[in-house]
Amino acid sequence: MAVRPILLYPDAILKTPSAPAVPGDPTVASIIQDMLDTLQASLGVALAAPQIGHAVQIIVVDVSRKQGETGHGRIVLLNPRITHQDEERIVREGCLSVPDFTGNVLRYGKTIVEGLIPSGTQTTIEASGLEALAFQHELDHLAGILFLDRVRSMETDVFRRAHVRRGA
Amino acid sequence: MTHFAIVTAFGQDQPGIVAGLAEGLFKLNCNIEDTSSVQLRGEFTMMLLVRLPNGMAADQLAGHLPSHLSSLDLTIMCRDVPAQAALRKSNTTTPTHMLSVYGADKPGIVAKVARTVADHKGNITVMNTQVVGASDKPVYVMVLEMKLPDNSSPDALSQALDKLKPSLGVDLTFRKLESVNL
Repeated sequence: MAVRPILLYPDAILKTPSAPAVPGDPTVASIIQDMLDTLQASLGVALAAPQIGHAVQIIVVDVSRKQGETGHGRIVLLNPRITHQDEERIVREGCLSVPDFTGNVLRYGKTIVEGLIPSGTQTTIEASGLEALAFQHELDHLAGILFLDRVRSMETDVFRRAHVRRGA
Repeated sequence: MTHFAIVTAFGQDQPGIVAGLAEGLFKLNCNIEDTSSVQLRGEFTMMLLVRLPNGMAADQLAGHLPSHLSSLDLTIMCRDVPAQAALRKSNTTTPTHMLSVYGADKPGIVAKVARTVADHKGNITVMNTQVVGASDKPVYVMVLEMKLPDNSSPDALSQALDKLKPSLGVDLTFRKLESVNL
């Protein structure tokens, strides 16, 4: 299909919650192909549909694009939701839609995601490491949440982290 | 021509310091761009990169700030920043490694650690230190983030830092920063 431009904040769609996707809908199929083409042409490992201008609940994740990572290979998920996450950690995160800024974000090293593959079949994926982080980041996009909404500290936050652990 | 200044301001911490200084700069048509501010015990310290309005020199800025700021009893200093240094950069300064150092408080920890980092071409991007623990047994905690050049060896720096441990009486952990761009 086509490589689409990755939209940058302050494009309003990046702050808009996405609607559920309908498996088998030709429009959905077309968006998926554009997302795969755009991901292939980018330096990233994952994309959410709003990043190319569609407020529908579709994500593509392929951490094998990064050297040393395998994960589950290329995954396309419709209407994904996280059912479990574990192993809290602070990650310095950036986003293709918010260039030139990184921030410390609380994420989880393990996550279980449920959703539909494009044919409509329900699937469950247990992800860890970079793949788990990618799922959390892309699901946020579907809710209109950017990592900027989750930034814990602009800089080193080890002192604050100590407080968090005590409170946990 | 666009010109920039760095304003530093500090004073005994109290509510309204940020608001007072920001309002004063706004009234002078200064645009606050990148800033970093932090409490150092009872002092609140601010560093602000400010875009100055046409015709205003950096050394005039402090003198032009509104008089109501004087009630905050801030020390304010201002210096020109070369245009090249004030340019926005991409993620070239994103830190690659983190170093935490802690041990019984004694003079020289920062100097020796920072020198070791510099000798290995590490560029410190953020440094925080704090004296913690009981008053009769103070503990020094130092946390650095740094960027190592792509062609440098983190192992060599790690070994050099380990050698500091016995002489400084500190524990330390040097690790790669988990950084993802999604």
